[in-house]
Amino acid sequence: MAITKAILVRRFLAPLWSSCKGTSVALGVRLRIIILLCVCTSLAALFIGAADNAAINFADGKLPDYIEFKIPPGWPKPAKDIFAKNKLSEQGFQLGKKLFYDTRLSKDGSNIACANCHQQFAAFATYDHDFSHGQNDQHTTRNAPALFNLAWMTNYHWDGGINHIEVQPLSPLTSPTEMAETLENVLAKLKKDSSYPTMFKAAFGTDEINSQRMLKALAQFTGSIVSANSKYDKVLRGEAKFTYSEENGYAVFKANCAACHKEPLFTDNSLRNNGLPINEYLKDYGRMKITGKPEDSLKFKVPSLRNVAVSFPYMHDGRFYSLGAVIEHYRNGISPQPTLDSLLTKKIDISNAQKSELIYFLNTLTDTSMTKNPRFAK
Amino acid sequence: MKSFFLLIPFALLSFFNKQSSQKITAPQTTGTLKITFVNTVKGKPLELNTVKYTNPFGEEYSISKFKYYISQVSLLRGKAVFFEPENFHLIDESNADALHFSFALGAGNYSSLNFLLGVDSLHNVSGAQTGALDPLNDMFWTWNSGYVMAKIEGHSPQAKVVNNKFEFHIGGFMGENNVLKNITLSFPDGKSLNIQEGKTSEIIIEADIDKCWQQPNDIKIAEHPVCSAPGPLAKKIADNYSKMFTVKDILN
Repeated sequence: MAITKAILVRRFLAPLWSSCKGTSVALGVRLRIIILLCVCTSLAALFIGAADNAAINFADGKLPDYIEFKIPPGWPKPAKDIFAKNKLSEQGFQLGKKLFYDTRLSKDGSNIACANCHQQFAAFATYDHDFSHGQNDQHTTRNAPALFNLAWMTNYHWDGGINHIEVQPLSPLTSPTEMAETLENVLAKLKKDSSYPTMFKAAFGTDEINSQRMLKALAQFTGSIVSANSKYDKVLRGEAKFTYSEENGYAVFKANCAACHKEPLFTDNSLRNNGLPINEYLKDYGRMKITGKPEDSLKFKVPSLRNVAVSFPYMHDGRFYSLGAVIEHYRNGISPQPTLDSLLTKKIDISNAQKSELIYFLNTLTDTSMTKNPRFAK
Repeated sequence: MKSFFLLIPFALLSFFNKQSSQKITAPQTTGTLKITFVNTVKGKPLELNTVKYTNPFGEEYSISKFKYYISQVSLLRGKAVFFEPENFHLIDESNADALHFSFALGAGNYSSLNFLLGVDSLHNVSGAQTGALDPLNDMFWTWNSGYVMAKIEGHSPQAKVVNNKFEFHIGGFMGENNVLKNITLSFPDGKSLNIQEGKTSEIIIEADIDKCWQQPNDIKIAEHPVCSAPGPLAKKIADNYSKMFTVKDILN
């Protein structure tokens, strides 16, 4: 901290201070008061900031390039500010991206990166797979969720068991059927790398590599993936027009789906039982595994419908391969269960024509400016 | 006039510095308090793996792992409470360096000790942590976010599971599953903690694993060899182990 102060004075204050000399006496004094006040405020902020986050230590005064996390116009504010104690920066984002695409995060020989199961072109879900492939070609037990607009989520995983974006990667990283690695080994591998120490230093101030910094960097990358530029968004902004079928499909959506798949995020972040018959092989009771409560039996997270056309198959076990099959489930496949969501006790009554229109509408939710954005690519 | 304005930033700076240092040491003169944990079974120092113990139900067992979080440590001086600055300590029987910790405390006479057994709810929901709370310490659930407040693992012929290994991973910080225990310990008769300037005083706390099996809840290994999620069983075990601590001695 002392060094930071010294640099601040040497680089910025001394020249500023002397530049006031050329002005008239009264103006010079006033200018200097203003400078002093600014310095006091920023120093105070430095102290408070330092106390807030021990992960960050910019001893040599070289701060990263901070980025503002932009909330799309008309969107709600995220429920909790995931970047409040993990200030988003270009260097943090780039480090997180490198980690996301790095196979060294998995057990040696398995060559699995986060990106293996979270593929950008599939909106960061696993394309065309009900279950993803983990270490030794084992299968996961749930369908890999798409990753976008995570800043607006209140919890993560199909059962909502993860309460913060930063701690989510611990789960796939250590799961024996996924990346199957230990945190100790991952950190040891990162420390041996030629570029990571420099990147950690650029993002967090020193070249120390620890689990907290790694997880915060990953959160900077995944939390930055925002999808808000589909045709649907363009229509709302007046930049595009729905076709006749899409327009009708939007009406069907609003009447039958929007209560759970709430706009603009196309999810209300709730966990519900949507009437899927239990998968006899997996016997996955969803939320009940987390809370232990019978009333949470078979409840799973309502996924966002954004990019739904590219993130198939659907449901927590990927049992449906087409949007048509999903809609058919809501029309005729609901299984009556004690914890069935009250909104689904009456089956969704739409015609075949409305079903096709609904699919046309759902296709307008694909956001290629996200799925093809080079900023999120390897 | 000019020099007065020049003083403002330094006055403010010293204000902030003072604020932060005040949190660490309230009074002017300070000594050091060392708190040492001695884990035992029925009063005898715990021996990991090698020694066989018998619980009140006649079940034979050995202990292979015994870890728990201590936080929010405070002491009573007169009617005032003095806290250790926010810190978390992972007491770990397998690591001699993780059986004690020290912090600065104002000089004076103290009459009792209070701490939280576990990690407060805020730190269970605030993302990646470091130090004692680093997930590297293997005390964080990766599938159901939250800290394991205490871990007791061992072997027993009564544990009819793989390798006869019983494991109690006690956690849960929310609502009815909350296992956080606020523990107040009085000092032995005739003893008081007297912190003196520049000197170190020590409180020795005994944690007796024998207390985990009974009072108020009977926990038989045969019936409950595994507890690895928040819920009623974790709460019962936590109720028991919250009574395992006593202050054995104070060295001024």
